[in-house]
Amino acid sequence: MKPKKLSFLEILDSYSAEESSLIPLLQDAQDEDGYISPEKVEGIAQHLKITESQVYGVASFYSQFRFTPPGRHSISVCLGTACHVSGGETLLNTFERDLEISPGECTPDGRFDLNRVACLGCCALAPVVKIDDDIYSKVNVIKLNDIIGLYE
Amino acid sequence: MKISIDNKSVEVSRQMTVLEAADQNGIYIPRLCAHPELIPYGGCRLCIVEIEGIKGYPTACTAMVEDGMIIRTNTNMLQQMRRDLLQLILSEHPAACLLCDNIEGCSMFQETIRKVGVTTGCRWCPKDKDCELQRIVESFDVHELSLPGLYRDLPVEKYDPFFDRDYNLCIYCGRCVRICNEYRKSSVIAFRQRGKFTTIGPSFDENHIDAGCEFCGACVSVCPTGAMSEKSRKWWGLPDTYTKSVCPLCSINCDIQVLSLRDKIVGTLPPGKPHEAAGELCVKGRFCLSEMVNRTKRILEPSYLFPEGEGIIGWKEAFKRGAELIKDAGKGKTALYISPYLSMEEYSAIAYFARSVLKSSFVTSSCLDYNNTEYLRLSLRSIPLDKVRKSTSIISLFLNGNYNYAPLTMAVKNAASSGIPYYQIGWIRDSTSRFATNSIVPEPGDQVRILDDLIESIKGKSTHDPVIHQLAEHLKNEENALIVIGPSLISLSGMQQVLDRINVIIDLTRSKIYAPNPYGNIKGMLSANEMKPVEIITEKVEKGDIALVYLIGDMPFSERSTDYKLIYQSAFPAPENLRPDLVLPSAVWGEFQGTWPGMKGSTARARKAAKPHDYAKLNIDIINSMSAYAGKKGVLESMSKKNRKITGKFIPHLPVRESALENEEKLNGMEKLPFILISERSPHTYMNLQLDRAVEGLNELISPCYLLINHSDARKLGISGGEYVTIADSEYELTRPVKIRKNIPAGVIYITDNKSVIGFKSNPCYVNLSREHV
Ligand code: SF4
Ligand code: SF4
Ligand code: SF4
Ligand code: FES
Ligand code: FES
Repeated sequence: MKPKKLSFLEILDSYSAEESSLIPLLQDAQDEDGYISPEKVEGIAQHLKITESQVYGVASFYSQFRFTPPGRHSISVCLGTACHVSGGETLLNTFERDLEISPGECTPDGRFDLNRVACLGCCALAPVVKIDDDIYSKVNVIKLNDIIGLYE
Repeated sequence: MKISIDNKSVEVSRQMTVLEAADQNGIYIPRLCAHPELIPYGGCRLCIVEIEGIKGYPTACTAMVEDGMIIRTNTNMLQQMRRDLLQLILSEHPAACLLCDNIEGCSMFQETIRKVGVTTGCRWCPKDKDCELQRIVESFDVHELSLPGLYRDLPVEKYDPFFDRDYNLCIYCGRCVRICNEYRKSSVIAFRQRGKFTTIGPSFDENHIDAGCEFCGACVSVCPTGAMSEKSRKWWGLPDTYTKSVCPLCSINCDIQVLSLRDKIVGTLPPGKPHEAAGELCVKGRFCLSEMVNRTKRILEPSYLFPEGEGIIGWKEAFKRGAELIKDAGKGKTALYISPYLSMEEYSAIAYFARSVLKSSFVTSSCLDYNNTEYLRLSLRSIPLDKVRKSTSIISLFLNGNYNYAPLTMAVKNAASSGIPYYQIGWIRDSTSRFATNSIVPEPGDQVRILDDLIESIKGKSTHDPVIHQLAEHLKNEENALIVIGPSLISLSGMQQVLDRINVIIDLTRSKIYAPNPYGNIKGMLSANEMKPVEIITEKVEKGDIALVYLIGDMPFSERSTDYKLIYQSAFPAPENLRPDLVLPSAVWGEFQGTWPGMKGSTARARKAAKPHDYAKLNIDIINSMSAYAGKKGVLESMSKKNRKITGKFIPHLPVRESALENEEKLNGMEKLPFILISERSPHTYMNLQLDRAVEGLNELISPCYLLINHSDARKLGISGGEYVTIADSEYELTRPVKIRKNIPAGVIYITDNKSVIGFKSNPCYVNLSREHV
């Protein structure tokens, strides 16, 4: 059974005001509703007595954190070495053009958000695209449309 | 330790980096990210060296010297690698000029077009000739690029006051981020994202004001490239003169250097090598001084109010008429108001002038009103600033260190971040708040009760408030507990009661105090002159007992009430309604040399950095000539050569008076409303100039007359910046536009202009806030 989700304030209270709390705190804060809002950055900064710039600087360094609400489905395009050399960048560009969003953003209708990741750990299947928990291997631009069609 | 650098054997006495050791011995190693105030970073890698027995090419700025080390800084291999590194840097840095065939002619004859929207090369860069990257590239004679160039095409950031940022020129040395974080302890900017997507700035796309920037300019000073540039100085080019001086804009009197070009002041920097000195200045000393001298309205010529209207006159005529006005007024019939921003020399001359020429003892200054005088009494008991760092615990009372008193706030921040307990009591969040162990935001009216509780607790009575208890323990038990008091206290209701309590605490404990004041030379003014309370003199003026009012850089009233003659001597114009009989334009700071005794404990000198504006004359010269025209020995002659040099101890005498306070004001028991309104007098003045109105950037920061509210309050109420809102208590209401500022705590409304809020019950007080519907 999943434990009850904590609210952001409860999450804050569960961490001591030390700089080493920053990353686990960011992770928990993101788990709450899928992204880190400016208000959360502010709350975390106040709790840890550091500035919002410091919080954001650290958070934006890691691609696991996002700063806009997630879409109903989450697309991750792998740009690890194997995927990169077999065309990952082209896949990402195609998504950007078709969905009219940049990595880290979400489509206005809330259907998809788009992210780049570095290596999903299945390089033999490169290039790889992950949508929600589904992995698509040896993807090419032509396959993309069909794949997207599977998600509403 | 004995080491060898480039075959030169040298002695180093302590632990230091290879870079420092080389510098000490006159051996230059190129560098871009290293900075003397900062922790070694090893980012640019230009400082690579060879060290025998160590593999690879360590960076000199991070490698520590060891006994017997053999270091080479200048081999062909190293130089080639540095050239390659420069190629990498230049592939992402606009470098059109470095590669241009016309480079020589262009510098001399400017034969190419210079009007471009963005910086594409050195000739279009605000830091041309003042850039460390340019200097290094030139010394390596790089004239072509072997890598494809990339222009990042980031928007140039011009929306904040005082400095612009063009990160297309940035080389990611990190000096700005590090100086703001490590040295100034402000952490306004950070590296965001990573790899080729890295940018520098506050969180999300927030502007610097909201991110808590103090506009201290440290980041601008240390940036090696043109990425950061001062708005008001960016196209002047290199200054030709650097003059040591002191900032006259508050009681701290920071040391500064004045930059001038062809006898015009173009800017100010902290003392030290440009690019190296980060400094402890606040925005006023760093950015406002030069604008105050050059970009505010100054009086150009002497003028006289003839029956048919005001007319420009020459100086001789002015002195003649001035002398007549003085003679007509007669003995004991002149009131002299002087500014607390003058030099010691001017005060000595004024003292002689009042005594021997005006023959009047009615000398005062508008800053000597009742509340201010009592605050200044406390302020003058401050310990020297360098002792602040030795405190074992710090309590600040009503301190608003925003855009102000930077050396003090830096000392507090440094102490607190090294583990010294710091408590802040007050309604305003400033740059020290983040470092507070505990912050107390009293209910309006509770400012006195809190101190009463503290006193009781010091005396040994138990208190239910654990923070007050801790405070009392610190104050009671420590030799070096420090109480920092901010001048916002002057505007509070019950100010006198608060002061009384503070004095009781000082008597009961051994705690030290530091209370900065917004005046540049209060100590000098009060030690050269016997001064009277301003209310007493102004009452005489209003009763008609005074025939002549003489103002030197001071403006106690904005219009004429009774029928007296008025001589107005200042650099900045009088308000329209004042209509002085005689106007005498004086020089300002920077245009003459003078002594500032200051609160630092040592005497500082401001040197002349430019000639006086137009026909303006120095105050001393005006007084001197006026005395001569009035048939007296000139001031300068009256002071023997020896006396003219200002030395010695300065003992300030504050006017003494009976307490105006018979009954203690009753403060508590106010009706609770959703917001707390707090106001304070603007501390940003120089002579009769209101800096936060005259200097555009400061106006943006301080926004006098706006109601400043917190962003989450604004969001809740759906208010956007610039919108008019009405605040009201049961007795008074006020409608004003709002600005939304993150440094205002939620539930608080702040205004710098305490005249317009005089109708409210008290300061601070509870109010309702509502949107104005139009
Ligand atoms: S001006 Fe000062 S406070 Fe602002 S970003 Fe630069 S160093 Fe930081
Ligand atoms: S803005 Fe200037 S100081 Fe900051 S990283 Fe870029 S080049 Fe360095
Ligand atoms: S703290 Fe005071 S003396 Fe120092 S720069 Fe600012 S106004 Fe000038
Ligand atoms: S690089 Fe894409 S899965 Fe490893
Ligand atoms: S100066 Fe040493 S790495 Fe930049």
